[in-house]
Amino acid sequence: MNRLTLALPSGRLLGDCVRVLHAAGYRGAREDRSLVWGWADLTVIVAKPADLLTYVERGAADCGVVGKDVLLEQSHEVYELVDLGFGRCRGVVALPAECRRLWEDPRRHLRVATKYPRVAERFFWERGRPVEIVELYGSVELAPQVGLSDGILDLVMTGATLRANGLVEVAEVFRSTARLVVNPVSLRTRSAAVRELVGRLARAAQEVS
Amino acid sequence: MGSVLHSLLYRGKELKSRLPAGLRDWTPEELAPLRALEARLRRTFEAWGYREVATPVLEYLDTWTHAAGSGPASLFVVVDRSGELLALRPELTASVARLVATRGPEGVARLYYVGSVFRADAGRGGSREFPQAGVERVGEGGADADAEVVALAVEALREAGVAGARLGVGHAGFLRALLEAAGLQERSVPQQALLRRDFVTLSALLEGAPEPVRQALLDLPSLRGRGALSSARRLGVGGQALEELEAVLEALGAYGVAEHVEVDLGIIRDFDYYTGVVLEAYAPASGAPLLGGGRYDGLLEHFGASRPAVGFAVHLERVLSSCRLDVPPPPVLEVAYDPSTRPQAVAWASKARAAGLRVATGPAQNGPPRAGVNFRADGVWWVDARGSRRLAASELDALLEGRTP
Repeated sequence: MNRLTLALPSGRLLGDCVRVLHAAGYRGAREDRSLVWGWADLTVIVAKPADLLTYVERGAADCGVVGKDVLLEQSHEVYELVDLGFGRCRGVVALPAECRRLWEDPRRHLRVATKYPRVAERFFWERGRPVEIVELYGSVELAPQVGLSDGILDLVMTGATLRANGLVEVAEVFRSTARLVVNPVSLRTRSAAVRELVGRLARAAQEVS
Repeated sequence: MGSVLHSLLYRGKELKSRLPAGLRDWTPEELAPLRALEARLRRTFEAWGYREVATPVLEYLDTWTHAAGSGPASLFVVVDRSGELLALRPELTASVARLVATRGPEGVARLYYVGSVFRADAGRGGSREFPQAGVERVGEGGADADAEVVALAVEALREAGVAGARLGVGHAGFLRALLEAAGLQERSVPQQALLRRDFVTLSALLEGAPEPVRQALLDLPSLRGRGALSSARRLGVGGQALEELEAVLEALGAYGVAEHVEVDLGIIRDFDYYTGVVLEAYAPASGAPLLGGGRYDGLLEHFGASRPAVGFAVHLERVLSSCRLDVPPPPVLEVAYDPSTRPQAVAWASKARAAGLRVATGPAQNGPPRAGVNFRADGVWWVDARGSRRLAASELDALLEGRTP
């Protein structure tokens, strides 16, 4: 009954998540690449990052780890309790180096390709900049090279991908790290166990970073 | 051109057999548990002296955006023939408030409603229509009114058969006082962060706030249960709100619902709307609150009558997922007839309905006879799994009393 379920995102955050679990005392137990594993008091599931909030919001998982970028893009009803510190990256607007000057004219209409259409819409709307948003699911940096868009709004970690594709950053949109989120009902109906897990993971994340 | 026309026609055909995203049909099997739940809630609300009201599904857009503070993005907007903007109701409290403010009754009004509410932006749940039932107690402030509504919420969930439901009771004034003590403006960025339950951003924004207040805001999710009131009181903030809450708890004592109710100062509901006690109910089987509500003394003023009010709304689909309301399909007696026996069969069926049976009549089909009563030229026959046999007149009468031959 008091066994909790923690949802982890597949992809770039998963390695650090497993390291934090390890530091929190949850060692071993994962069969190679299995999507569900666990201990006596904790079940861990691995979900697509874009689906993670669905699992937690609907109570299929009590807690979850998700990038701030996803929390900004998707509306949700979960409690965002802890900044776990890892998975550090930024969301930026980038243009091809040769037309970076387009950004200096705020009245210039831009076509922007992104995996974050709602974040992009909000960012441009708040600044009163005219924009057309092209929603893509990946390899966003390709879009300006084939004339699909003028620029992109995407995550950068080191900036290597931008450079490799001849893009330069013109504006920062947000900063992101991994966050620990909790279902509002779990927070109340399984309060003691949830608090304990949240504390344990928050401390472990500090040790690891 | 031809292909465009074709695709339009084709699409039209496709659309006719589909539903827009987030809307659903209810088959008899799906609807029966919902109606059973509604019946239990109606019975409970009426036993407590509440009377049902109904309001239109469509109202002026302003009713929602001004009075109830709904963002236009979440509303289903419709343009009236005169060009006025209307919207499908996103909730019923504002409608009931408008009804009471404009048409009475004067004095204390105990009202309830059962109906669907609509959202244009399907959340992750995907739904855009939500069946709800709720109560509004208008015209009286104070702990007794609040306590009655809280106790009724507990009773409603108990009558619905929800296992392990807990009702949290907090106070919107306490949260407002905390934010004020932290030096935060109304509708400020930190307040928005709190409404989004983003405690990471909130923590960063509260750097300059007095330490005990900062800590209390960050610990809000656990400011509940026994001891929550005394640790809140130690802050020296929101004293009046805490006193009001305590008075409600004291009045609640008379209802004997203490084991289902707990103080939950971390309940975060729209600050602009709620002015006093706020409540939410949770059950382990549902990932979202089963019901929510509170005191909203400022709402009726928007409709020209300043009167205090308190109420709650139950999310019926969430309650259904938290209790097993198995409603077996009611037995229906089939009556088949030949052309020559039609008058006799129809007359008997009408007698049977008057006696309280559910009866369906229809012509006898070719092939095997239907289960039930078969009026044939050669007499009245009873057909069931064991076979068929002719009924005596006394057996036909016995059927009217609900006894199977």
